[in-house]
Amino acid sequence: MTAIIEGRIDTLTAPALQEELTNSWEGVTELVLDFGKVEYISSAGLRVLISAEKQMASAGGRIVLKSVSPVVMEVLEMTGLSNVLHIE
Amino acid sequence: MNQRTIIFKNRIEEVERIAAFVEGVSEELDLQPAVVGSLQLAIEEAVVNVINYAYPDRTECDSSLMAKWDDTSLTFILSDSGVPFDPTRAADPDLSLGLEERPIGGLGIFLIKKIMNEVSYEYINSCNVLTMIKNL
Repeated sequence: MTAIIEGRIDTLTAPALQEELTNSWEGVTELVLDFGKVEYISSAGLRVLISAEKQMASAGGRIVLKSVSPVVMEVLEMTGLSNVLHIE
Repeated sequence: MNQRTIIFKNRIEEVERIAAFVEGVSEELDLQPAVVGSLQLAIEEAVVNVINYAYPDRTECDSSLMAKWDDTSLTFILSDSGVPFDPTRAADPDLSLGLEERPIGGLGIFLIKKIMNEVSYEYINSCNVLTMIKNL
């Protein structure tokens, strides 16, 4: 299953992403998040990704980030998350 | 030296105005979009800490963010009159940990320190004053 994420993932929008992902991952073993149109992510968004991946992993699944933009990749690299999240 | 100031309330919706403020300052300096994004990120992290934690009783209070710049550097000074808190003393997260061992939070202050060239804290006249400098 693939979910396309668009725009800014900041303190204001991260809760909506959290809710959306919570509804999406039930029964799914691989949730692909297409990040091609994500132009900004703050720590609020990173928290959503970490907690979603933890929950998926505990159920035997995983989250895959696809088409990550250079700007977002830089944030993932700065925080070491590029080493622990699945990125295509 | 040019400068601009924005006053904001401890309401999470203020994050949008703060992002626009940083964008406005960046436009005056003609900064690259990637730099603008990283500045917005550092400032969002600092401001959200104030909004979420400076006033535990949730009383509505004003805080301020001043930007001042010249050709060589852009400085943001964030001031609030909330509970004393020095973010520069927060321990850095252990980036070598696997996902399982990683705490979900703790990245915001680390991002500020990574993005800005200098971050310093003072407690002056019952105010937290966080100074963040980006070399240009």
